[in-house]
Amino acid sequence: MESINWRALAPIGVFFLLCIVIAIFSPNFLSVSNAVRILNASAIPVVLVMGATFVILMGSIDLSVEGIVALCAVVTASLVLNDTFSANLGFWAIPFAVLAGGIIGAANGATHVFLKVPSFMVTLGIGFVCLGIATAALGGFPVRISDRGFRALTLGRTLGLPNGIWLAAAAVFVAYVIQERTRLGRYVYAIGTDEITARQSGVPVERTRILVFVLAGFFSGLAGVMAAAQLGQGHALIASGRLFTTITAVVVGGTALSGGVGSVLNSVVGVLIVIVLTNGMVLMGVPPFVQQGVQGFLIIVAVTLALDRRQLLVVK
Amino acid sequence: MTEKQKELLRNLVPIFTLLALVLGIAAFEPGFLKPANLVTVTADTMTLFLMASGATFVIMLGSIDLSIQAIASMTSCILAALLPMFGGTALLIALAGGATAGVLSGLVVNYFRIPSFVATLAIGGIMTSVAFWASNERSIYISDEDKSTWLNWATGTSVGIDHEVVVGLVVLATLSAILSLTRFGRLVRAVGSQERAVVASGINVNRIKFFAFVISGLMAGLAGIVMAARLGSGSPTLASEFLLPAIACIIVGGTAITGGVGSIWKTFVGALIIAVVRIGMTFVGITVLAQQIVFGLVLVIAVAMTIDRTKVSVVK
Amino acid sequence: MQPLLELRKVTKEFPGVRALDSVDLHVDRREVVGLIGENGAGKSTLVKILAGIHRIDSGSMLFDGSPASFRSPRDAFNHGLTMVFQEQSIIPTLTVAENIFLGREQEFLRFGVIDKRAMNAAAEVELAKVHLDCNPATKCASLDFAARQMVEIAKALSLDGRIDSDIVILLDEPTSVLERQEIDLLFEIIKELKAKASIIFISHRLDEVLQVSDRVYVLRDGAVVHETASTEATITGLHEHMVGRQLDHEYYRENKQRELFGESVLSVRNLTIEGEFRNLSFDLAEGQILGIAGVVGSGRESFARCLGGLLPPSNGEILVDGKPVRLNQPHQAVLAGFGFVPSERKSEGIVTGLSVSENMTLAAGDRFSRFGFIKFEQERTECQRWIDRLRIRTPSTKTPMQSLSGGNQQKVVLSKWQIFGSKVAVLDHPTRGIDVGAKEDVYELIREMADQGVAIILLGDTLEEVIGLSNSILVLKDGEVSAKFQAPVGAKPDQIELISKMV
Repeated sequence: MESINWRALAPIGVFFLLCIVIAIFSPNFLSVSNAVRILNASAIPVVLVMGATFVILMGSIDLSVEGIVALCAVVTASLVLNDTFSANLGFWAIPFAVLAGGIIGAANGATHVFLKVPSFMVTLGIGFVCLGIATAALGGFPVRISDRGFRALTLGRTLGLPNGIWLAAAAVFVAYVIQERTRLGRYVYAIGTDEITARQSGVPVERTRILVFVLAGFFSGLAGVMAAAQLGQGHALIASGRLFTTITAVVVGGTALSGGVGSVLNSVVGVLIVIVLTNGMVLMGVPPFVQQGVQGFLIIVAVTLALDRRQLLVVK
Repeated sequence: MTEKQKELLRNLVPIFTLLALVLGIAAFEPGFLKPANLVTVTADTMTLFLMASGATFVIMLGSIDLSIQAIASMTSCILAALLPMFGGTALLIALAGGATAGVLSGLVVNYFRIPSFVATLAIGGIMTSVAFWASNERSIYISDEDKSTWLNWATGTSVGIDHEVVVGLVVLATLSAILSLTRFGRLVRAVGSQERAVVASGINVNRIKFFAFVISGLMAGLAGIVMAARLGSGSPTLASEFLLPAIACIIVGGTAITGGVGSIWKTFVGALIIAVVRIGMTFVGITVLAQQIVFGLVLVIAVAMTIDRTKVSVVK
Repeated sequence: MQPLLELRKVTKEFPGVRALDSVDLHVDRREVVGLIGENGAGKSTLVKILAGIHRIDSGSMLFDGSPASFRSPRDAFNHGLTMVFQEQSIIPTLTVAENIFLGREQEFLRFGVIDKRAMNAAAEVELAKVHLDCNPATKCASLDFAARQMVEIAKALSLDGRIDSDIVILLDEPTSVLERQEIDLLFEIIKELKAKASIIFISHRLDEVLQVSDRVYVLRDGAVVHETASTEATITGLHEHMVGRQLDHEYYRENKQRELFGESVLSVRNLTIEGEFRNLSFDLAEGQILGIAGVVGSGRESFARCLGGLLPPSNGEILVDGKPVRLNQPHQAVLAGFGFVPSERKSEGIVTGLSVSENMTLAAGDRFSRFGFIKFEQERTECQRWIDRLRIRTPSTKTPMQSLSGGNQQKVVLSKWQIFGSKVAVLDHPTRGIDVGAKEDVYELIREMADQGVAIILLGDTLEEVIGLSNSILVLKDGEVSAKFQAPVGAKPDQIELISKMV
């Protein structure tokens, strides 16, 4: 019989504790409408952490999240009915935008693997390239979406819940199946735990690394589509702050930066913790600018708790 | 001999790149080569150099500092907010704020064993919150009176030379001396080259890392002050756009992110290259908006060229 | 009958050493072959060649009658040659079934999705072969060491029936971490395996080798020096074949060996690191050389690293000049007077990016700086003196460390502690990977250090080296002292005597 893994359950405990504390200070917290608000605010971060979790499970990092989301939001906004370009693809814009995300992910992965450049540097650089393209393509202005039907993608409701939440749930399902039931998912754990052994056992390390960055690109692309639909526009700064939330959520959920330990479900809990905290702070009247500081603090605490220090001889 | 020739080549490539770029622009615009213009270009580059100068120490360790832009923004806010009340003491408080950020990064990296890119990302988030708090979420103007009384050392001119250049050269000389003449500087290089051997020799590596982060924070703080002085205001997003060019100029100058190799004058040359590239782009007709694309690509290419692949068996 | 695996005149050289010298070896079908030899005899090189990690320089390898050259461990595996490594190749975050079929999930794919039930069922079959009763869906992290080893063997056996050829399983020191009961079980399994596979069994426990093997090869200095049927071999007979040539007294500068020592410098009392070594106690005086003998895994490497401050002790006391010292950090060890020369010279001994003089003064930097500023001239003079004295071949003090030969690099490492003034030098394989001439220089230097009153702890590269250089010798076996020998000039202990206490 396997012993219960407390470390994996700890984030859930933190989540409930947080809910209780906030509910005590602010009774409004425990209402159906606030719960829906929290879920809705979690939708895009959840989609983002799906990709980021795979990358981090592999021991790498993706700092290009904001760039890809912004660029894909711009692609989406430009391909549906809008005020700047003469396109009207409607929902057919989605595959193009998601594909664009995948292509950038492929660029990340290929540069990282073939030039043997650490992922944080590659994704930092390519993230800025994406932001640059998103800015330059529009001359610094936003593209406004005029297609009301398209905006229903996130704003409309099905079974009483905003569609964005359903999209996020679908993303979680797909990510979970990939994680648990495909070779890619298993190889991610193998590489993140012990790349040299994985390679010796015949795991195609290079191909897996690239595919994971492509996958992360797809999820970021989808998040870009959702962001465009939600805000009704696409522009370069649409994803500001997303990177920070994403990394905070993944590490707070209990996925270790050193790789091999964690799960996409952990990251869902991580997102809920971060969003509930934000929501709670708003309800309690804490100024919004404190949030980034709190998240920074959370990152440090969570990474500290999750690290297995015995393995670390040298920390750079 | 070949080892020496390679070294020489590594040192010369950035300088020749700079010369070629300068001559290239001069071909379009002969006035570019006028001494007065060159001094102005150098003066405009100094804030970027200041920001990158301290971070060079961190990168030479093989670590990275992703908080420098947040620190610079924060000190600009502290300075602008406190100048009316405290006068010159505000300068010291702002510098101390920068150093404190470095202290925090150093402590987090050393004692929580968190990789520097995450630790500094998190500390950067906290500093951004501090900046918003200190500035009350807006830009704070510095009165002309305060500026001429307290900031003339940074923005004035003497005998036709902008003071920024003087500040830059003093920093260049001081930090170069620290790096090449002191035991600390040598140990920074040693830690970046082969940390385990330095540890086994009984050196307190944590102390070296700590002070490198402090220098980085201090210099980023100084950069924020000079920026605020030039622009006549402090704002929580003042330096947001500077992270990418700052890291880029360190790498382009020839300092490798794998650590061990580098110098302050290389960063100085790198900063000038970035500045000249920026000017060159406007000549060629690349819009300011698209410059991030170029810098992002330059960063990735420069990293790929300078990285020491023998040092890392597994690239994550 | 044609052998399943055959090596013909296989030679492998590394810079400065011939690791394998014209080795002939064969393994028949359904045969258990034992492979023994002292540390550095060439066993691990041979294993790495079979595993496809190293290529052979000359000679040939035949598998199932046809020439084979494996490109990677995976390639060797796919051909039917699989190994159970000492350092395990299990991924703890994956389940037992996932580990067994890692990289071979193809047969369980349904529309791109892994059929976990089918995979677990297949894993059950493999686990039954090794009598391991565990749920294949368990994460390997929750298994104990012995169970993981069984999973490794199950992984190797899963080849059976999945490829056309017969399989060879290479067990590299499989018993070193197992308890008696588990070892018996393993031997049972090996007997059953013989019905399906050939086995190469590497161990330093000769009784076990004789117990399970049909035939035994003895390697020494990279060559096969003896081959015998197990029924005809005796442990003492094998010992004699394992030890090398007669001791060359001049080679180890025995005429310079001190017999009178100074004050006592170091006292170690009941020093213990859980899981590594237990209750080590001894005293060491100025100028005395203490050799530590033991096989890989005997705990002697951890002991050396402990004195270097790189592995904190869990129990016991260390006194330098009668005062207790703490060794939780390397800088504490250095201040206490220990100078550690690590066995991994390239990653822990030298700083490649720094120059010769910068390496020499790395530990003693305070003496060569004022207010943090380096006194370059003084540093240069002092380093030049050491370069001349130790005959370090380098163009100048400023030469980058990586351009020196291994032997000269090692002299720089030794001089680093001389310059610092360490009282106790801990030498972990100081002559590993350096050529013969440089070795003699290092021996000379060790004698000089002893003359100057440095107490020396030596982990030799070979047994001869330990015997030749030391005043006294501690033999470690399974983490405990199994024997103590005095080794004065003219009355050096016999290698066979030592080896019988080691294995």
